[in-house]
Amino acid sequence: MGSVHHEPAGGPTFEPLIQVDMEIKTFVSAWQHCDYVSTYMARMISQKRSDSVRHSNLFSSAFNELLEVAFRTRHAEGELACRVSRQGATDRIELTIPCVPEERQFYQEAVAQVAGFEARERYLNSVSGDLAPSREVVLLELAVDYNATLRVEEAEGDAIKLVVDLPLEGLQH
Amino acid sequence: MSPYILHPRFKAQYDPNNQEFSISGVVRPQAIDELGPSLALLRDAISCVRGVLYVNVKRLTQMNNAAFHAFSRVIIDACRARPDLRFVVITSSVVGWTSRKFGRLSGIEPNVTVEEYDSEFYPGQGFLEEGGFVPILRTQTKMTWRHERAILPRHGMRPGIVMADICCGIGDFAVLVQKEFQPSRIVALDHSISSLDYARRVMREFDIRGIEYTYGDASEMLLDEAQFDLVTCRHSLQIFNRPELILKELYRICKPGGRVYITNEKNSHCLGEPRAESIRWTYNEVAKLFAHFEMDVELGPKSRRYLMEAGFEDIRVESFMVTNLDGDPQDFADVIEAWADVYAGEMAAKRGDGPEFVARFRQGFQDHIFAALHPKGYAGWPIWIASGRRPQ
Repeated sequence: MGSVHHEPAGGPTFEPLIQVDMEIKTFVSAWQHCDYVSTYMARMISQKRSDSVRHSNLFSSAFNELLEVAFRTRHAEGELACRVSRQGATDRIELTIPCVPEERQFYQEAVAQVAGFEARERYLNSVSGDLAPSREVVLLELAVDYNATLRVEEAEGDAIKLVVDLPLEGLQH
Repeated sequence: MSPYILHPRFKAQYDPNNQEFSISGVVRPQAIDELGPSLALLRDAISCVRGVLYVNVKRLTQMNNAAFHAFSRVIIDACRARPDLRFVVITSSVVGWTSRKFGRLSGIEPNVTVEEYDSEFYPGQGFLEEGGFVPILRTQTKMTWRHERAILPRHGMRPGIVMADICCGIGDFAVLVQKEFQPSRIVALDHSISSLDYARRVMREFDIRGIEYTYGDASEMLLDEAQFDLVTCRHSLQIFNRPELILKELYRICKPGGRVYITNEKNSHCLGEPRAESIRWTYNEVAKLFAHFEMDVELGPKSRRYLMEAGFEDIRVESFMVTNLDGDPQDFADVIEAWADVYAGEMAAKRGDGPEFVARFRQGFQDHIFAALHPKGYAGWPIWIASGRRPQ
């Protein structure tokens, strides 16, 4: 299956900043990879922000959650691709994750719920509930606490691409 | 073995005297079991306290959702089991996500409140950070720079280094360093948002590159360990009530083999001729006034001791005197006038000084200005410079 990702005609152009690819087997071999990758990429992309240290901390915080979601993939083969690009105050993370068909459906449903009106309420209910946070809750939190917008795109092979726009400059102070 | 296992990256503590549970560092567990001892400590703390439990997360740099949920669960359960108990979560305005994330808890449980740790923790400094003081800060830096540009290379300054300027204020020192020495990177940190806004505006207007201004608390910085060849902190230890905490942080972010450079004053040694007696009396009183607000403007000659006690080696100390002969004597006079306005104005009033004291106090500043502008006069403001090397 070919990639179906296209910027809308006349839409903003995101300039690529950095891309890190890893075999999914390597990635899931150690939990700390989520922390390493999120911290490294956050530092690399934050230097030209108005407050690089603060931006790096915020970006790492949000990106680590996405990587922790990806870590729980049930697909043993393929590549994890993390790409960050920028347009003005918004940083875009494109995370291509190998996944089985049921996971594809999960991501599509989860992202649809994040976009729903009750996202904040759903998130609060999850915090006050008894269950450990699900992957869906993690995505909700990105929308609620970081004003992120999320969408899912098709990717080549057994993979899905999660596109997350983070307007972190607007969150400063 | 992973370094994560050798060195846990977070620490949880409970202080029964202050009824404060604190958690700091990076908390990104894969499984909640990894948090077992910390969660047990929080539960124990809850069972011991009455009234309020403070949950201090101001040094928490990262926490994943799994950990946040686990700690929140304990707090929410406690709110429901013990309605008599209040929780005050203390976050840091420096760590952008904490207030938003922990703030959600107060929407769930009314017994949880979230307070953002901020500049109120810097006693007295507000006097020196009002907008009107900016031109004086610029003049002060212009006056000290004439001396420091020659002194800095003896304390580790050289082209191409990576440096941090902590408590950078309006950023003018960082700009001068960038132009003169071309370090490869300068990270300049301050806790005053208005000063940083000013610094960024200057950087934009003059198209200055290579300086990253960042908002932060000098005693608890987000900056990583051991990343700077030179760390400067000018005229700032003297206005913190616990300078040793700042030094500990300066040491932490300095590379092994790198140097930390500090400048401080000894205000009672400001001098002038003629009218020396009146000037001496007033500056002795300046030192006492600052001491009242827990600031030690006599710190300069104590720098060596502070650096030694913080673990530095190869400590170098020198001093210089900014005088009315360095440049335009009016610059010197303008600085003293600004000091008089703040010290004999707002600060004296806040201490509750009477009109008789204030009149004599102000007269010493006027006499210092008189000395500075007198055709045969001499007026001085001494500064102590000290630097130490972080051991390899």
